[in-house]
Amino acid sequence: MIGITDNLLGSVVGVYLARAKDEEILKRKVASGGAVTAMLIYALEKGLIDGVVTAKRVRGFEGQAIVARTREEILEAAGNKWSIVPFAARVKAKIEEEDLKKVAVVCLPCQAQFFGQMREFPILETDFGERIRYIIGLFCTGTFAFEALLNYLRIKYNIKAEDIKNITLKEGFLEIQHDDSFLQLPLKEVYSYLQTGCLVCTDYTGMWSDISAGFIEKEKGWTVLITRNIRGEELVKGAEREGYLEVRDGSHVMGDILRAAREKLARAQKNMMSLL
Amino acid sequence: MEKLRVLHVDIGGCEGCNVSIIRAYPKLIELIDLDISYLRDNGFKFDDYDVAIITGGVCMNEPSKIEKLKDIRKKADVVIAFGSCAAFGGILRFCRGGQEPRPDHRNFQPINAVINVDYSIPGCPPTPQMLQSFFKFFMSGNEARLRLFKVSANIKKLSGFDLLDDIVLTGLCIGCGACELSCPTGAIKLIDRRPTLAQERCIRCGTCYIRCPRASQLLSMGGEKR
Repeated sequence: MIGITDNLLGSVVGVYLARAKDEEILKRKVASGGAVTAMLIYALEKGLIDGVVTAKRVRGFEGQAIVARTREEILEAAGNKWSIVPFAARVKAKIEEEDLKKVAVVCLPCQAQFFGQMREFPILETDFGERIRYIIGLFCTGTFAFEALLNYLRIKYNIKAEDIKNITLKEGFLEIQHDDSFLQLPLKEVYSYLQTGCLVCTDYTGMWSDISAGFIEKEKGWTVLITRNIRGEELVKGAEREGYLEVRDGSHVMGDILRAAREKLARAQKNMMSLL
Repeated sequence: MEKLRVLHVDIGGCEGCNVSIIRAYPKLIELIDLDISYLRDNGFKFDDYDVAIITGGVCMNEPSKIEKLKDIRKKADVVIAFGSCAAFGGILRFCRGGQEPRPDHRNFQPINAVINVDYSIPGCPPTPQMLQSFFKFFMSGNEARLRLFKVSANIKKLSGFDLLDDIVLTGLCIGCGACELSCPTGAIKLIDRRPTLAQERCIRCGTCYIRCPRASQLLSMGGEKR
């Protein structure tokens, strides 16, 4: 049985609400306050890292692993992906191809777990954990089995994958922008298109990250940041000090994060019982 | 702080893990007093140890090895199976007898087939940094970080086959590609976002299983896999 206190949030050093100071970042299509984008730009411009490996949406739900080495490339990659990108092997290839020594990876909790484990426990000589300077994990409720969902959208709503411009999670529904119209799908309707593996995942915030980042409804326009170690703490404080980030205390939103984390854990336990 | 008394014994392996331990030692010398056969003439240095690191699988046709293992278990408070052969059987599972360089040996098992193991660390061989990390977390009492290796201590086999059975065939695979990256022999390839296994290349090291976010989650949640 899972110990609730041990497994709900992992180690927490600080909880903050943050947003980018740069107007350009805020204007772009960012998930919340643009804090992750701002931190990455700070780390790049100050030489803390020499590249960011992240996913970029290329078409519909599909994402692709890319290396961003400039402010503009980071801005282009910002925004939700909604599908898992087969990240691991691509990240290694990208790091080697571009000879990156210090990278930040922006990833989902499952990927953060993999990178975190690899960094702390390098089993293979070919592991590249020492090159991963920052792991930024994004709050996650699950990713879609997107072939199936796209098929459903095509059959039921006549929406083609290539026409999908944006997907946003709103309260209680998923908003899909295709061409110039919007389709609002109740979450109940799309729930069964989440990947089965995500339905048994217990990690909402990404416990293996250096910094977990996410969004909560009641603080619109702000990014919630959970720092998990000194490394993460220094990145947030540095970005604030250098004027990239506006940061305020976020301890009052812990209740909401815990609630979401508990819901994901409960869902995982329920699904695990029926699947295994 | 007093140094940990650590014993290393190879019970029947290819020496890869031993080299890894030797390579790890310079950074551990402040923390542990390592008793390793390369550094002494005969017998054990002490009567009892805080930790015993065992490498290699145990040959079930050789009673002296089985007795030796049992003796080490009595001498050590904590036993670590280091490397895939000691942990899960690894490539030694493929021994059929009549093979060079140890022609008589034909049945190797992980050491937990004979004695209780406290932590199993897979890898063929695991890197020196792996042992250094292990001792860092072990000595600071960070059990949460070592949980995965603790639950692995009860598992007798782990391989790409188990990954397919437990994660892919149950539909739990999320297609992240961690297994593909972690396979030391290139036995796993992602096709249509799901892993496929070239079974003749799988050396049963268990690295893919330990590295899979979903599989390691199942293990650390207390899944009783044998």
